[in-house]
Amino acid sequence: MEQQVTVAIIEDHPVVTEGVASWIRSDSEQRVLLVHTGRDLTGLDGESRPPAEVVILDLELSGELVTAQIPGLVAVGYRVVAFSGHSDPAIVMETLDSGAHAYVSKEEGSEHLVEAVLAAAADRPYVTRSQARAMLADQRPGRPELSQQELQALLLWFQGMSKASVGRRMSISENTVRQYISRARAKYAATGRTAPSKDALLARAIEDGVIKPGEIMPYTSFARAAANRPSLGGPGQ
Amino acid sequence: MTGVQPTTELSGRYQRAFTVAVVVLVAGWHLAGGGGQLLHNRADYASFAFQCALWLVMAVAIAVGSVVVLRGPLDWRLAWAVALIALVASTASAAASPAGQMLAVSWAWGSAGWTGVLALHRRRMTELVWFLAAEAAAIFAVQAWDGLNRMDLAAFLALLAWSTGAQIAVAAAVKALDSAANRAAIAARSEDAARERAATAEIIQAARQARWLALQENTVPLVAELAAGTADPGDPQLRVRCAIQAARLRRLMAEGDELPGSLVHELHASADVAELRGVAVEIETAGTLPQVPGPARRVITDAAIAILASARSQARITLATVAAGIAVSFVADTGSVVLLPAADQGVAIEHQQDGDMLWAEARWNNR
Repeated sequence: MEQQVTVAIIEDHPVVTEGVASWIRSDSEQRVLLVHTGRDLTGLDGESRPPAEVVILDLELSGELVTAQIPGLVAVGYRVVAFSGHSDPAIVMETLDSGAHAYVSKEEGSEHLVEAVLAAAADRPYVTRSQARAMLADQRPGRPELSQQELQALLLWFQGMSKASVGRRMSISENTVRQYISRARAKYAATGRTAPSKDALLARAIEDGVIKPGEIMPYTSFARAAANRPSLGGPGQ
Repeated sequence: MTGVQPTTELSGRYQRAFTVAVVVLVAGWHLAGGGGQLLHNRADYASFAFQCALWLVMAVAIAVGSVVVLRGPLDWRLAWAVALIALVASTASAAASPAGQMLAVSWAWGSAGWTGVLALHRRRMTELVWFLAAEAAAIFAVQAWDGLNRMDLAAFLALLAWSTGAQIAVAAAVKALDSAANRAAIAARSEDAARERAATAEIIQAARQARWLALQENTVPLVAELAAGTADPGDPQLRVRCAIQAARLRRLMAEGDELPGSLVHELHASADVAELRGVAVEIETAGTLPQVPGPARRVITDAAIAILASARSQARITLATVAAGIAVSFVADTGSVVLLPAADQGVAIEHQQDGDMLWAEARWNNR
């Protein structure tokens, strides 16, 4: 059995913390280990910070949005899974752009939170329905260009179909549905501000064959590709 | 709103016309009556130049008074200033006239009275009466100073009756016309309001008629069956029919509320009934949704009602902007195939059954 993924919960409502902890405990394979809970972000960037791989972060702590703190968490090596009642697409996009791996709405928590944590620990894309919604609603000028297939898979997933049903609807395999959705997510990781978590997600997507380096080249500068990811097999290597 | 503005303007227009008439009358009197008498008796005055100067002062007072009353709402101090200047000018003119002949050669009494009418005709009638009385008292005092005799007194009373009577009559006529114009304006305004009310009532009536027809078609027979005992409330099919009709009643109410997000609002209304049955309904939107026309909304909500009535425990409705319109989708545990409305009004409907779960999508295209 693989090693457990260590996780910290930053949440200002103890009841919610307890709920998240219970989802983690009820995972039949015990794949996640809770190592820290906190009501705010203090101590997370210091020398003696909790040794968690993934931080489950409530986006609103004591009444204030903390999306601006995500880059700091990512910079010290945490992977961030945002867990929030704010499903406003603009906030979701801001969260992902700041370097969070995934966004899970509070309604989606029981079904998706543990899976999102596992995906984040492995630098693999994880797209919840609320995240798909934000990607579909995204009209910002810098948004990546998604293919028709990717958009259709995202739309059907957002609508509430299972991935197997989406596959039947699109006459493709369930695995291909995952590929389309993951590729859309990876394209987002290649846009906007830079963050080590986004680079790691992109690198893993390329390794897994979700996306080809060429598919993201139009959306990131050659200079950045050369400087940050020399080993990813960019064009010309 | 559009009905009210013109009637107010109408009454304002009449009042202005009356004021213009008074201005013309007073200016005409001062020029022809007062001015004519002044020229005619020029040889009789102690100083013709002084009388001319007073005539000019009065003319200026009339000009200022005219501008002031034609400008609109009157400042009472300004009105009385004009009137008092005329009073002083006429008294001075009388005092400077030769004793005993004053009334025969006076041009000023009439002009001063008419100036008072001009300045005070929009004020209370009693103010004008006080002014005319003061004017008469001033003339009478000048006469008494000169040494009053019986002939003078007779002439004074005759002039008083003639001139003051005419001035009061004109002022009273303006007041009467003003109030008639006001009444006409109010009547016109209430007629407009009545017409608007009738039009609104007609629209409401038509909407009620449409709702009533919709109920006659399906809901009434169902209630009749239940009342007659021919329908079995234990029959699941019947319960679905009831749920559909309840949702339609709810939607009929929601359709009256024209909002920017009408479609979302109507879908919420359609979902209410399913929620009362214990079905958890989620409604989510992605992107800025286009406004969908009423008939197309009806096709979409018909699909929603059919699916929600068959949902057992959960349903998710999503609205997403797509290239040329809107995609409204439904995922629900209906268990079996649901009869969906046919494509109509630019709305295409597709569906896929996966075990218990039904997925259906209504796409409205704006091209």
